[in-house]
Amino acid sequence: MSITYLEAIREAQAYLLKNDPSVYIYGQDVGAFGGAFKATKNLAAEFPGRVIDAPISEDAMIGSAVGAAIEGLRPIIEVQFADFSTVGFNQMVNQAATLFWRTEVPCPITLRLPSGGTSGGGPFHSQCLESIYAHFPGLIVCTPATVEDAYSMLIESVTLDDPVVFCEHKYLYFHLKAESLPQEALPIGKARIAREGRDMTIVTYSAMVHECLEAAKEMAQDGIQIEVVDLRTVKPIDTDTIIASVARTGRLLCVAEEWPWGGVNAEVISRVVAEGFNLLDAPPQRINAKDTPVPYHPRLWSVHRPTAQSIVAASRHLLRI
Amino acid sequence: MNQEINRETAEQAYRYMLTARKLDERLAQLYRAGDIFGGVFLGKGQEALSVSVGMVLRKGDVYAPLIRDGAGRLAFGETVLDALRNCLGSPLGPMRARDGNVHRGRPREGSMAMISHLGASISVVNGALMAKRMKGESGFIGAACIGEGATSTGAFHEALNQAAIEKLPLLLVVANNQYAYSTPTTMQFACEKLTDKAVGYGVTAHEVDGTNLESCWNTLQQAAQKARNGEGPQLIVAELLRLCGHGEHDDAHYVTDDMKQSKVGKDCMEQARSLLISQYDFSIEELQAWEAATLKDINQSITTVKQEGGPDPYTHNWNPLATRELSEQPIGTAN
Amino acid sequence: MSLTPIIMPQLGESIAEATIIDLLVPQGESVTAGQDIIEVETQKATMNVTAPCDGVIDAYIVEIGESYAVGDVLGQVESDAVSAQSDQTSAPTASQATSQPKQSRQESKQPGSKQPTPAPASAESSFSVVKPTIKGLPVPAHFVGAQYMSPRMKARMYELGLREADLAGIAGSGAGGRLTIQDFEKFLTQLEQARLTQASSMRVAVADAMRRSWTRPLATVGTPVKLDPLLSHRAKLNPKPGPALFAIRALAIALSENSATAGRLIGNKIAHPASIDIGFAVEAEDGVLVPVIRNADNTSVTSMVETYNNLVNSARLRKLPANATGGSIATVTNFGTFGLTWATPIPLPEQTLVLGLGAGRKVPFWDESTSSFVPVTEAQLTLSFDHRVLDGGAAGRLLTRINELMTHPQQL
Repeated sequence: MSITYLEAIREAQAYLLKNDPSVYIYGQDVGAFGGAFKATKNLAAEFPGRVIDAPISEDAMIGSAVGAAIEGLRPIIEVQFADFSTVGFNQMVNQAATLFWRTEVPCPITLRLPSGGTSGGGPFHSQCLESIYAHFPGLIVCTPATVEDAYSMLIESVTLDDPVVFCEHKYLYFHLKAESLPQEALPIGKARIAREGRDMTIVTYSAMVHECLEAAKEMAQDGIQIEVVDLRTVKPIDTDTIIASVARTGRLLCVAEEWPWGGVNAEVISRVVAEGFNLLDAPPQRINAKDTPVPYHPRLWSVHRPTAQSIVAASRHLLRI
Repeated sequence: MNQEINRETAEQAYRYMLTARKLDERLAQLYRAGDIFGGVFLGKGQEALSVSVGMVLRKGDVYAPLIRDGAGRLAFGETVLDALRNCLGSPLGPMRARDGNVHRGRPREGSMAMISHLGASISVVNGALMAKRMKGESGFIGAACIGEGATSTGAFHEALNQAAIEKLPLLLVVANNQYAYSTPTTMQFACEKLTDKAVGYGVTAHEVDGTNLESCWNTLQQAAQKARNGEGPQLIVAELLRLCGHGEHDDAHYVTDDMKQSKVGKDCMEQARSLLISQYDFSIEELQAWEAATLKDINQSITTVKQEGGPDPYTHNWNPLATRELSEQPIGTAN
Repeated sequence: MSLTPIIMPQLGESIAEATIIDLLVPQGESVTAGQDIIEVETQKATMNVTAPCDGVIDAYIVEIGESYAVGDVLGQVESDAVSAQSDQTSAPTASQATSQPKQSRQESKQPGSKQPTPAPASAESSFSVVKPTIKGLPVPAHFVGAQYMSPRMKARMYELGLREADLAGIAGSGAGGRLTIQDFEKFLTQLEQARLTQASSMRVAVADAMRRSWTRPLATVGTPVKLDPLLSHRAKLNPKPGPALFAIRALAIALSENSATAGRLIGNKIAHPASIDIGFAVEAEDGVLVPVIRNADNTSVTSMVETYNNLVNSARLRKLPANATGGSIATVTNFGTFGLTWATPIPLPEQTLVLGLGAGRKVPFWDESTSSFVPVTEAQLTLSFDHRVLDGGAAGRLLTRINELMTHPQQL
């Protein structure tokens, strides 16, 4: 049996709907149609009244989720593409994220954002927005890289009493498969060592984990052992695991698909430099997407964000300086 | 069941309005004395409409009051102490000094705490109503209060549309007080009447003279009845005039004399007072006694709250998450 | 005749594969470019794969019900040479027609050759598979070949009590010869294999002082001094001062006449000495101590003798009182006692000058008056100095004055 990343998300939602009567799903085309990516396929039929179609109103979708959460429910809001969530940005960062801080009433909503680039996606179907949400206090931001994490972290996200931005990666939806769903999992907030190594630490998350593992495999042919840390969650960041890794290797490369200014890479490097300065044998480096909107043509897109090849180049450079 | 206003409810309503008005006046004084941090926003002129909303709601209903809903909040169960605590920044207030003035509420008790973005509260009420329905509750309604300025926001549009699609028992109460800060209605919308929008959304509209307590009462009761009967969202537009500045920092010089002397410029307190005296045979002395009593209560509360002081930044819980172990903020430091 | 591959097109965002439902045109039948030939199903919908060019279906290499990845070859269309020149850059997609074959594109295909399989996933098979063109990183230029000691290195060195001077002998393998932590750890490992003994605290202290002194540009000037007048004068004295004392006294008088030469340069200011206290080097254990004669400009050589001897003894026994060292403005070192004729001593780090006295030897000296060589007892005087404070001229004049004083011992 093999299960895709997308199917894992569907299974997680099915599990939640089945075991927690307070869970419901709200989003465009999620009902009978099963969702643009089929993440809710058959769920409306299996759980009548709990998988609800929404009009094209991200502001109202997220605002209503807050109201429902106050009444004790646990809404999952599926935004069709992460790129569209900015229409409802105000509700997420000013209503949901501040509710507990201002009123001590928790806001257990989960915002599912199909994120990241695919070939031909273009500027408004490819964005990675984890950093701008992570910037606001009161939110948790998850970025699962594996089929197993897509499953377990979605279940945990909905179970948490805080608003969660769940950045699922579209490219991984159908490209990534696993043998089975996990029985145990690391909790939200803990990073995972995806590959052990002694020469260099790469800190990354989501689809880039796989590019980094590819790069690490190629570098291994030259006898270079790269440690790849999968953050899994970008808010909070598991600083302890990162620092421990840099303590072992002395070199840090941060790899992310998002744009460079003030992103997860910048945050990780800032923390490592502040708390682990004396562990570094070289200045920490980062690679991001180019500082332009995501291009449409596949050839342009192929160099816009980090690839295994550009990660190898960056790694080789870091090992020389 | 539709209830006409009677002697008992008129007295109740008037006394809430009176307390709201007196509280507003005291807050204005405190503001000018420099006792209040941040802005002060009053509900002068809106008391009749607001109290009618607050009193038509029952326990179990959902209420999203806005800036000038002091009377409605009191009617829905807010205490004078809560209101003062929040305005004076007491750590014992409902928002624990983390948010101030009219940004207060007790969401678990059905009263939503507004954010500054106008229109954003409506979909929150929608969501609460959808949740109640999913939980199998019945007979409930929700009320979201906004001004005419908020009808220009996208949030208003999305939320009203959503409420209409979902046929929610929502009272969307628009207090058209003729000015959004300094912006007159001619710069806020181009349709002749705000109630004209109802057709576009597929909801029922109600117009009401916002200065008249009786009219407000009747309209709200009718609208609430329709909502409880499953007739979907009710858009209520009340015409009145803002009888104070946008905030106490604003002298409202842009409000024209014509406006002040027109029908909408009448003070709902005076009209309510006339109603009680002429229609329900209350005496001036009784009304004055109520006024004295409420003022005394307010002043005592002010004394109490002032003694509570402000929050201690060094022992304050600086944690924004319900799940403490996921918070990146250390607890108990000022930074 | 040539074979054109039928390639699984990109059927939608994030679609990775599709399942074959039906083969609409059987093998052997002719097709036109853009005609629907294979029906496939994805997660989202059912679509058709179209023929890449005019021709005849040569073969399908797929099975109905199986899934194939985007970019996989599903079969081949056989066509004649002309029609095979289809624009491979617009590969079959589910809904667009391919371009008409162009005769001008002969160069990309050889007639009669079979097309290679499998085709690249990006469906632009007449171009090579796209590789990113990033050669390096946008890293600041100064990092390339950068020489720096990393924070980790510094922390490790601090841990071990090491200084940069200790690492002088290690070649670095990092960019621009940078010493990396790996070089360092390798060095330490090799060091473990050498015979190691504990350096005394005296040795470590002297090492630190010399290292600090060396951070300045030091230079040395020298001149021979005739010792005969001094030696015959000394023979008449009781107690008898050692040669070093005459040097101390001469230096003191010379400095009292021009104390600026013993000044210290701090930034753009010169700190002048307060009193003419002269230190002198005494070998003690495996290091050097520098006791001080205070106000040496006001004390005659004979008056200094007892103090000097006591200081020397105490120094040798490491029993110098606290006020006996420190505060001197210049030092004299009499390495002649070790048999050295000449040396370039290093001033103390807090001093600008050190005067060295070599061993006296009988040497021939040309006496102009007799036009002959006469034997004289001569020693080399060397003066090392912080070249930031004085130059050769001033150093030379100071040395000349010292020389003059030492050859007129009655003035000392």
